Amino acid sequence: MVVVRRRWFQAPWEFREAFLVTAMVIVAGFFVEYLGAGGGIPLLHLPVNAIALVIFALMVLGAGLAFRNSAVVQWLGGIPLGLALIFAIAVLSLIGGIVPQGDAVAGSLSAMLRINQIFSSWPFFLTVLFFLANLGLGLSWKLFPFSMKNLQFILFHAGFWLALSCGIFGSTDLQRFVVPIEIGKANNLGYSMNSDTPQQLPFSIFLQNFSLEEYPPQLLLYDPQNDKLLVERSQAIIQVRKGVTASWKGVEVEVVDYLSYALRGSDGEPQAADRKAGMPFAKVRISSGGAPFEAWISTGSPMLKPEAADLGGILLIMVPGSPKSFNSAVSIQGENGEQKTATLGVNQPLSFSGWKLYQMGYDEKMGKWSQLSLIEVIRDPWLPAVYLGLFMIMAGNILFFWNGIKHSEVA
Amino acid sequence: MVIDFNTAAILAMVCWTIGSLLDLLSRKSAALKLPAFLIAFGGTMVMVAYIAIYWSFLGRPPLRTLGETRLWYAALIPLAGFLVEYRWKISWLKYYCMALAGFFLVINLLHPEVFDKTLMPALQSPWFIPHVVVYLVGYVLLAASSVAALHNVSLQLRSKKNDAGETAAHYLALLGFVLLTFGLIFGALWAKEAWGHYWTWDPKETWAFLSWLAYLGYLHAFRYKIDRGKLQWYLALSFIVLLVCWFGVNYLPSAQNSVHTYTQS
Repeated sequence: MVVVRRRWFQAPWEFREAFLVTAMVIVAGFFVEYLGAGGGIPLLHLPVNAIALVIFALMVLGAGLAFRNSAVVQWLGGIPLGLALIFAIAVLSLIGGIVPQGDAVAGSLSAMLRINQIFSSWPFFLTVLFFLANLGLGLSWKLFPFSMKNLQFILFHAGFWLALSCGIFGSTDLQRFVVPIEIGKANNLGYSMNSDTPQQLPFSIFLQNFSLEEYPPQLLLYDPQNDKLLVERSQAIIQVRKGVTASWKGVEVEVVDYLSYALRGSDGEPQAADRKAGMPFAKVRISSGGAPFEAWISTGSPMLKPEAADLGGILLIMVPGSPKSFNSAVSIQGENGEQKTATLGVNQPLSFSGWKLYQMGYDEKMGKWSQLSLIEVIRDPWLPAVYLGLFMIMAGNILFFWNGIKHSEVA
Repeated sequence: MVIDFNTAAILAMVCWTIGSLLDLLSRKSAALKLPAFLIAFGGTMVMVAYIAIYWSFLGRPPLRTLGETRLWYAALIPLAGFLVEYRWKISWLKYYCMALAGFFLVINLLHPEVFDKTLMPALQSPWFIPHVVVYLVGYVLLAASSVAALHNVSLQLRSKKNDAGETAAHYLALLGFVLLTFGLIFGALWAKEAWGHYWTWDPKETWAFLSWLAYLGYLHAFRYKIDRGKLQWYLALSFIVLLVCWFGVNYLPSAQNSVHTYTQS
């Protein structure tokens, strides 16, 4: 490469100018943020944000096509500025990836500059806006005149433009609420972190049933005097079942019998019980130095105390397994009469008139006996546009991959 | 289980060592070329078979803990090395790849994990395997790209030029970037189904985005015809961002509430 000595701002502009202007954008962003005491960008809602975005897009496209021979516009849509802006977004994301995001002490420098919520701050927004302008200008030159050989470029860059712009501009229209419901009751109020007053929803959810399935329980050694587990959790017997054996520090344990759902009968012996009332029971044979003995132990439930085996001051305990799945059987009633009955589960959301319903949680203290289900309801009107962008990126990527393989011979 | 981890890992490393030594000797006698490849490839097949057996033993894909993902790297990284030799006739990359795979196996040998068959509900999704596997292969290609770039840098420092090596590093980065993109988008689509939103700036997401930006920057710098020799430094160093994303995020102050902090037990 020939090294050309070029003065600052002497045409053609390249990296130095790009990095300087980008740095100025970030500094200006922090300045505006500081003036606004860390209040972040204004929250525009539909349709204002959509109109603003369309006007911005048309301005970028118009500028690209009207001034495509202007040196400044070419620089604005060129790779050097693009690289500087990618670098700037990376640096701002780096701050967001290291500094914990969320609450900060009010009035602190971090809060004034919104470093604790960097992704809704002025410097981030201005950088993204500049980046969208840069990307949009580059795109306008490949879009007009259209040529099939630019298809990969167009799909990737237009998809990225769409997903990024709609994701950022539309983030204000995202509504998400938690609806707590008890079995046998209905609720149409949603709660959110940002507000103390619940929000009236355009539908109500009736919880018919909540069910939770656990993995088999674990065996552990516990020292009640010092309130300490004597076995590292990673060495516990995971998944207790009939026939499992373990030996820790001179203690031999064998599970002789196992019942997933049981209660002690009138004779004191555990007997199989129904799923709602029963709890896991295991009969263990223990030998630790002395004569081997057998005992029943259980995980307990909110109603009954757990039972442990005493090994001379040390207890062999059984703790419930982690949740395997939890589901809510619900029926939803809309304002204008529509109705839907379904079972919600994690990874199995439900769509209902523009909203999506998610199984979020339950009363964790009660575990599988929980009478309460937490349903999260979410509405994101910008989602189709973001998804269109993501699918365009993937389509462009397939072409990129294909061409990459095809042209990858050593030159 | 038919075969335990220690046996499989040691067998694989023995195969890689013998295969590499034979391959070095094959420069003198070409007849050793095929046995060298078969033995080294056999080492990788041992790991592939072990993963398959382990998978059926657990009853869930072994992709949940960092230790489990290291098994996949150990199997896939040498494959990337063999592929590069096949595609670009570059033979040295596979030695690094097998050494790296051996390194991952040694970590697992030093930190044995208990078989844990549980899989939390959020991970029980059809997206789980595509998301993680696409990332695994992407990381593998980018690791190979970074190793190749490091090799090129060391050649440069000795004032040697290696065009084939630079081409390989470039195309590995290109393919790795494509897979990174798919991994990121699959993750977003999955997050929408499981957690309600496609992007929440979770620390792992943020770092995945940063890694993606690093390679996006590389591809544009390459396109702008920046000196390829200098870009070898860039490629070699980009992998550090990826390593933070993959291992380091768990230790960052921002990561306390991340859904991606893998359980270590």
